[in-house]
Amino acid sequence: MTIYLDAVSTTEKTKSMKLKSKFINKLTVPIAVSMISLITFFTTFSACKESRSDWVLKSDIKIEGIAPIGLTADGENFWLSDGDHNRLVKIDKNGKHINEEKDFERPMHIAAEGNKIFIPTYGTDEILILENGVRTKLELTEELDAPAGVDIWKDQIAIADFYNHRILFFNGTDWISIGKKGKTDGLFDYPTDVQITESKIYIADAYNNRIQIFDKTGKHLLAFGKEHKMNATTGIFVSDGEIFSTDFENDRVLIFDLDGNLKQELDKENGFSKPTDLIVADNVLYVVNYKGQHISVLERK
Amino acid sequence: MKNLIIIFSIICIGFILNPIGANAQDEKTLNSGMDSVTVVVEGLGCPFCAYGLEKKFKELKGIDDVTIDMETGLLNFIFPAADSLSMERIEKQVEEAGYTAVDTKIVRADGSLEATAVLEHAEIDKNAIVQKEVMVSGNCGMCQTRIENTAKKLEGISEAVWDKETKILSVNFDQHLISIEEIEEAISKAGHDTPNFKTSTEVYDNLPGCCQYDREN
Repeated sequence: MTIYLDAVSTTEKTKSMKLKSKFINKLTVPIAVSMISLITFFTTFSACKESRSDWVLKSDIKIEGIAPIGLTADGENFWLSDGDHNRLVKIDKNGKHINEEKDFERPMHIAAEGNKIFIPTYGTDEILILENGVRTKLELTEELDAPAGVDIWKDQIAIADFYNHRILFFNGTDWISIGKKGKTDGLFDYPTDVQITESKIYIADAYNNRIQIFDKTGKHLLAFGKEHKMNATTGIFVSDGEIFSTDFENDRVLIFDLDGNLKQELDKENGFSKPTDLIVADNVLYVVNYKGQHISVLERK
Repeated sequence: MKNLIIIFSIICIGFILNPIGANAQDEKTLNSGMDSVTVVVEGLGCPFCAYGLEKKFKELKGIDDVTIDMETGLLNFIFPAADSLSMERIEKQVEEAGYTAVDTKIVRADGSLEATAVLEHAEIDKNAIVQKEVMVSGNCGMCQTRIENTAKKLEGISEAVWDKETKILSVNFDQHLISIEEIEEAISKAGHDTPNFKTSTEVYDNLPGCCQYDREN
């Protein structure tokens, strides 16, 4: 273009500039469109790659007579906490009863570590440990008020202390208390479930309708989920790349990436009926439903 | 005003027909120095809150054998007869926990029985029924039970349905017996904001956690 302009008179320059302008416009539009298309394509492609999830309902496991709150894997089998009937029930992957442990006062979100099952008993403010049929009580330095969830990671323990609106966390050396009642970041409105990973603590902040993430010093890192109109975030499970949560009142399961971006919404069309807890085991997602006496089984497409 | 309001509460004392019926606990407590109480509670939709109701009842001094059957909504407990626990106190305790006591029965230690208050409403004039819709704040199935039951207990109401998704209460009522403003006011007193009436902070704070909807203040 420059060579062309230098070779003409001023008057012609003006004309040529107009021509140039037209020429540029003619070139610019398709170039711009192509660029935008390419950018859009790559952005969309990479976004899809990062944000999409593809869990689909495969089957249901019938669990007749059980109103489950919590779920944990025990080898090939599962333990369910049956809050309404004050018991733990062990089932296989077909829903067949293998074992039952009675007389827990409202057992909630349970956790397994080796041969031990950790059971928060909402009615007695205790964390009980069941190992080979023998029950012991976890020693605590502070009183709980309706523990609703517990998780174990190596020598660390986290407890969702429902009526105290806090998380009690044992870092291997000391117990620390995280949060208090409130709506803003870092505060809780009835936490119901908790999970510890290598560097973080993930909390189902039930009636703030969100998930919150803390580091292990108790520093707040992230809050999300409310923007997706969750209504009672009752259960949480964190895998290597995804955060799964149950949306109790809306009969949904929401799946986020580790930065809190929504990857997939599994709605009530999947048959969820007041879901309370979920885990991923052997690449299969299991969701327990408080109503309807069934576990929803989902796999990737 | 025709069809004058006739509301009367009858506390039945003695062995009369009752809506809940005797149970093993009643027989066990006869002459034991303990009153046996059975309450039919509505709105036990969320287990976290319902177990909380049970837990809070257990904190009452002297109370024992507290159980809630989530499927039937039956709350049972025994209480020292010497304390003469009243129907009103029981129902208030349930309501303060955010639930609705729809039927209450006390079998006293001496075998006498007190049953729930029976409400009788004036006859509704079908020609005077109107339907109106009003926004009512709430979150969940328990909210729905509380909102609808509060409305249905009022004089002149023939139908009340609250939608959890839209937050709209659709209510049919005899306009000669009650107004939409009176309905709104009653619902706000039960814990749910309406466009014209805000519930008190104290009542709101007593709602179960799952029912504590977002408020501006």
